[in-house]
Amino acid sequence: MAAQPYGLIATFETAPDLYHAAEQVRDAGYRFWDCITPFPVHGLDKAMGVKRSIVPRISLAGGITGFITGMSMIWWTGAYDYQLIVGGKPLFSPMFAFPVSYELTILFTAFATIIGMFVVNGLPMHYHPVLKYDQIRRGMDDTFFIVIEARDPRFNLANTKALLEKAGGKAITELEP
Amino acid sequence: MSSQAVTAPAALPAESASPLAGKALTIGLAGIALTVPGIFVSGASAVAHSWLVGVTFWTAIAIGMLMLVLIHHIFDASWSTVIRRQYEHGLSAFKWLGLLFLPLVLATFLYQRDIVWPWMNLAREIHGGHTVGHDPLYLKKASFLSPGMFIGMTAGFFLIWIFLSARLRKASFTQDSDGDLKWTYSNRVTAAMGLPLGALTLTFAAIYWVKSLEYHWFSTMYGVWFFANCARGALSIGVIIMVWLWHRGDYKGILNNNHFHSIGMLMLAFTVFWAYVTFSQYFLIWNANVPEETFWYNLRELNHDGSTNQWWYVGLVILFGHFLIPFLALLSYRYKVTKHVIRRIAYWILTVILIDICYNIMPALKDSHGDAVPFLSLNLVWILTSVVGVGGICVWSYLRSFPTAKLIPIRDPRIGESLTHHE
Repeated sequence: MAAQPYGLIATFETAPDLYHAAEQVRDAGYRFWDCITPFPVHGLDKAMGVKRSIVPRISLAGGITGFITGMSMIWWTGAYDYQLIVGGKPLFSPMFAFPVSYELTILFTAFATIIGMFVVNGLPMHYHPVLKYDQIRRGMDDTFFIVIEARDPRFNLANTKALLEKAGGKAITELEP
Repeated sequence: MSSQAVTAPAALPAESASPLAGKALTIGLAGIALTVPGIFVSGASAVAHSWLVGVTFWTAIAIGMLMLVLIHHIFDASWSTVIRRQYEHGLSAFKWLGLLFLPLVLATFLYQRDIVWPWMNLAREIHGGHTVGHDPLYLKKASFLSPGMFIGMTAGFFLIWIFLSARLRKASFTQDSDGDLKWTYSNRVTAAMGLPLGALTLTFAAIYWVKSLEYHWFSTMYGVWFFANCARGALSIGVIIMVWLWHRGDYKGILNNNHFHSIGMLMLAFTVFWAYVTFSQYFLIWNANVPEETFWYNLRELNHDGSTNQWWYVGLVILFGHFLIPFLALLSYRYKVTKHVIRRIAYWILTVILIDICYNIMPALKDSHGDAVPFLSLNLVWILTSVVGVGGICVWSYLRSFPTAKLIPIRDPRIGESLTHHE
């Protein structure tokens, strides 16, 4: 073998096989690996040891930013930069600043959620090494795969192969980088 | 019980809730008995207002349960199927709530016409030296705000709520034994006619019972504000029942994290909804600054000499306690699925709903200067005894209905989806 492969891919026939294999890979301490399934498998997140997404925190940060932007923008324009009395109201009040702040909270939350999601999940991704694997199309039809990447600190060609075999993986193949 | 429950959820033995039901009835009757001496201590009018708070609070929760069950059916919802049965038991309380409302009507006509609602007494003197009967703002509304209409409409509200509840309960309970799909279709018909009926009755109930305490005032948001509290109250009681039945073992193996997450998300949504509606009402009145509308809030902020009164602080408690604190707490996934935390949030929301209803009813009681009687007064005792009294009867009614049907609707077509509810 000339160069280090991208990783190892193993085939599983059924969702329960994949589920239990994922638990073994998780317990072996791997971090850079993934499951490929034709449909969402409920509970697979837990079997893979995937934590809850951090996107909600990004959304919250966006919301707080939006609220502060709305409040400070109305204070700055109406009560500081160009003082103007409108409708006999005070120069600034959180009352009339609230609807705009509220809208900006929603707008910024939406932006932060969408952008945060794309940053966290790494999409759009136009190329991935598993696409070179000739059987990969079956992952959209009737077969399940586990891919363990070579950049994982625990990756060792022989040991990782043994783990996948022990977990019930068939047709274990090295992926080209 | 837990593993057995998934495959064949058994009916609970009838005696499993009956000692509790007896206890609830005793507490309820004790609450009512303790409210009565208040008439001699604080006066009949103060106690009648406090009683109205208690009845309105629990009726709001029952209406919320009714609306949630109707919404469940109209959307053909699946995840809430296992929880729906508890709401159906709760709906049995409407007949008792109707009975508990009766003393207010009787006191009005047999004892003192303006004991609660000032417009009931045409000879009552109002600000400016004339009487209600000569008040143009009353005369314009006289056909709506008449004793006959009040009694007829209130009787109609309860009859409609009892009718809808009876239809929902019968369909759901009968399906347990015969498994006939026609009950599911029947529930959809009930939901399609019940939702507009429910929306109209709860709006008019809020207008007649609460808003008409200040019949000069206008707010088109009032019914929506009341509905928001109804839904939040029912969701909170739902969470408390879920956690209670979980700890008792009934719901083990039936409920999972996602049921708590889903009901928690609804609580969050209705928290925002309540805030939106309540803020809209305040903001439009604040912005327009018209005396016919602002007096309602002025009464709840200032005394006649311009000093801040206690209701100003109550208003701040509502702003932060009814919106900001539950909103921030319910944003968290962990809080929503941790049973003792979500239950604490539910108790908190119920408490603030009670304060919100006090805020809307109690300032109608005025002292000789026309200022609102403070929040922290002896009346608070009669409010609490009324809430315990009416609440005890409602809880008793729920617990009495509880053993008459299975824990979950086992033959509902959506029960499988509900038991395996996932995110």
